[in-house]
Amino acid sequence: MNRDTPATDTTTSTTTQDGTTAAVRVDDLAISYAAGRSEVPVVRGVSFTIAAGRTLGLVGESGSGKSTVARTLLAHLRTGSRIVRGSVVVADQDVFALSPSATRALRGGTASVVAQNAGQALTPSMRVGAQIREALSAHGEPDSPERVAELVRLVRLPDPDTIVRRYPHQLSGGQQQRVAIAMAVAARPRVLVLDEPTTALDVVTQAAVLDLVADLGRELGMAVLLVSHDLGVVSAMADEIAVMRDGEVVEHRDTAALFADPQHEYTRALLAAVPDGRTRTGGPDHHDQDPAAPGTVADTTAHTGPPDRPVVTARDLVVRYGRGLPAAVDGVSFEIGARETLAVVGESGSGKSTLATAMAGLVPAESGTFTYADDAATGDLRQPVGARSPELRRAVQLVFQNADTSLNPRRTVGAAIARPLRLFTGSSSRARVADLLTQVGLGPEFATRLPAQLSGGQRQRVGIARALAAGPRLVIADEITTALDVQVQAGILALLADLQRENGLSCLFISHDLAVVRGVADRVAVMTGGRIVEIGPTERVFTGPNHPYTRTLLAATLEPGVTDLPDVDDGVQHWRHADGWTDHGDGHRIRNWEDA
Amino acid sequence: MSTSVIGSVVAPLRSSTALSVGLGLIALHLVLAVLAPVIGVHDPVATDSADVLAGPEWTHWLGTDQYGRDILSRTLNGGRYALLVTFLATTIAVAVGTVLGAVTAYADNWFDEVVMRVVDALLSVPSILALLVVVTVFDAGLWVIVLAVTVVYAPAVTRVVRGAARTVITQDYVTAARARGEKPLSIVFREILPNVLDVVLVEYAMRASWIVLLVASLSFLGFGANPPTPDWGLMVQENRTALTVVPLGTLAPIVALATLVVGLNLAADGLSKSLGVDRATQGATRA
Repeated sequence: MNRDTPATDTTTSTTTQDGTTAAVRVDDLAISYAAGRSEVPVVRGVSFTIAAGRTLGLVGESGSGKSTVARTLLAHLRTGSRIVRGSVVVADQDVFALSPSATRALRGGTASVVAQNAGQALTPSMRVGAQIREALSAHGEPDSPERVAELVRLVRLPDPDTIVRRYPHQLSGGQQQRVAIAMAVAARPRVLVLDEPTTALDVVTQAAVLDLVADLGRELGMAVLLVSHDLGVVSAMADEIAVMRDGEVVEHRDTAALFADPQHEYTRALLAAVPDGRTRTGGPDHHDQDPAAPGTVADTTAHTGPPDRPVVTARDLVVRYGRGLPAAVDGVSFEIGARETLAVVGESGSGKSTLATAMAGLVPAESGTFTYADDAATGDLRQPVGARSPELRRAVQLVFQNADTSLNPRRTVGAAIARPLRLFTGSSSRARVADLLTQVGLGPEFATRLPAQLSGGQRQRVGIARALAAGPRLVIADEITTALDVQVQAGILALLADLQRENGLSCLFISHDLAVVRGVADRVAVMTGGRIVEIGPTERVFTGPNHPYTRTLLAATLEPGVTDLPDVDDGVQHWRHADGWTDHGDGHRIRNWEDA
Repeated sequence: MSTSVIGSVVAPLRSSTALSVGLGLIALHLVLAVLAPVIGVHDPVATDSADVLAGPEWTHWLGTDQYGRDILSRTLNGGRYALLVTFLATTIAVAVGTVLGAVTAYADNWFDEVVMRVVDALLSVPSILALLVVVTVFDAGLWVIVLAVTVVYAPAVTRVVRGAARTVITQDYVTAARARGEKPLSIVFREILPNVLDVVLVEYAMRASWIVLLVASLSFLGFGANPPTPDWGLMVQENRTALTVVPLGTLAPIVALATLVVGLNLAADGLSKSLGVDRATQGATRA
């Protein structure tokens, strides 16, 4: 594009088919990124328009260029990238022809963005009220306390008078995201860009935040661009969806039409990979070298009640991070049988990850019993890892949520796998490492690579190989697919299922994603506030009857193709614990509750 | 494998001018120090009463000082002493500080408390004063200065490395090592130290430039190298009275000192930039 053209000349009056003026018009946009001496195209010829009051969902895997496109609406380009051709017109202004001061007025004024991680988007040392006021005054809006309070109420934050005096770290993730949204809409922008706005939130909070955004979009008549890798989120929110792959829009249609009849093969593959919560199959994985056959969990146990000879037994387990702090895990009881997968679901802060770290011996349990017993090893899981016998350490292995940080960036894949081999089996050979890499669907050639040279899915496979190297009997999988794209996730889940069947592993599967859980678990335990409120065979939990919290979780889950947002009442809890449990047969037990 | 090693060494040089200029200056100083006996043909401590306070001439390129000693030879040989003290003191201080910093960060218990309070105490003493006391008590031998500088600078390095190590400790690969029951020292050396190496390298270059100046200051004040040892600080002190007669006697050691410090600072700057960028592009840190 010609950068010398004055802004007024490039101003174009753009109209959509129905005659209204489009708030956003992206025309044949191509962006490339300089990598050393060569240029890598990251966006190639993307065009779309968004009318005021409409929502466009931009979906695609990581690296497809969707975030790059979204940020251009605010005239933002990553350092080193450059517009090759095309234009971005927001509210009748060519954003890349604006003067620096006009660009500042555009950002936050005409178009604003809500970033993925509100915890990082807010200034930690400033009270949230002051930050909202700053967003107002930066664009010449009246910034009286009343106006701030009005915005706080607009985004449905509780207690407007006191919450403005808090610091970001004193708010929950959902509340932080609401503050970020308040700041984004402060100057009544015409365009709102949401970049993975709920990826860091659990399902219940996600549903509440999305509901807020949808209402705001309608009330303020904004054009909304929603970037997400989550097809469920996009289908509930967007009027139309553009599917991006390798910098190109491969399919752009109305939401309902896209889900009913996907035209492009990539869209079909994307939809097929979504765990639909009914079948126990993993879809194909295009990005990791996958074993030819997609994994299926053989139904080894017809009887899915509590196991007769459990590998892990927990009774009234209490875990606390420090004296005087509330218990993170509060009187939890469960068993995990041989070859069984027990899934623990719940929102963030429910104590499910604490349970995993306690089982791995990284935090000691305070009281209760917590034992491990199989043919080769027995032991007390309340002990920290240092006090456990080598056999027990070997039997219980952990796979981490974030494969990016769970591999030492300075060590090769081979070294990462060889270390536990040497530690637990006394010796490691190149052949054993190659064998393990092959088992997880990578090849021996990966042994010499560094983690940075791998994709997210490949890293998670290395994480699994490292856990397998010890020869475990029980694998703790802590949100292992949360950071992954849907197709990669399907591949990892299939791999885990295959390995579990071949090696006869038991598994504690921690997740907040009910659809994933339904695909992999034999039994499900639902946790909230450090307690299990419901436990039972997977199908029984999904068909009900349920604890009210489980109902909220199930209702908040966004399924691709469902275009309505669930009603979760802003996540307000309408029940409280009562004594005792009710047994619904077949090991399906629900904690009693009373209405609050 | 070898090509990738060469590539990883050359790549930051190509990307950062500051780094190449800085390392070039340091290399120049090293070469001059090694070749000092060859280039400066005169004995740096030989006096010549017939030829004092001479300007530049064919036999003495930079002239002579008040005792008729060749300024070029003294400047070149002064570099040997400065570089040796700096290298030894910096290496020991940074090594001690790095290990202490990483160990205390991981320990996070009474040991951490004790070490860090000692560090606080040492940091509260002005470095030049502490050095003066040590040198006055023990005399200014090479090893006395090296060890005194180590005691003065290791605490600062400990603090910096401890801070860097604490962010590494929260990473899952350290948790993974703990979960498989690795011994604490094994975790420190295998998982933590390789990942604070960039901080350590930058710290090394920074500390080295300070230590060069500190050692020169000591000599200037008369507590460092004893006359007639050729030493930059000492030369400035000896020749400053004759500044108007033979300015080169003062300027030559100053230029030498300045170029070395500038070189070390540029190297530190370039290293921090290229290592930082290197980590970001490799995905070790998420932007």
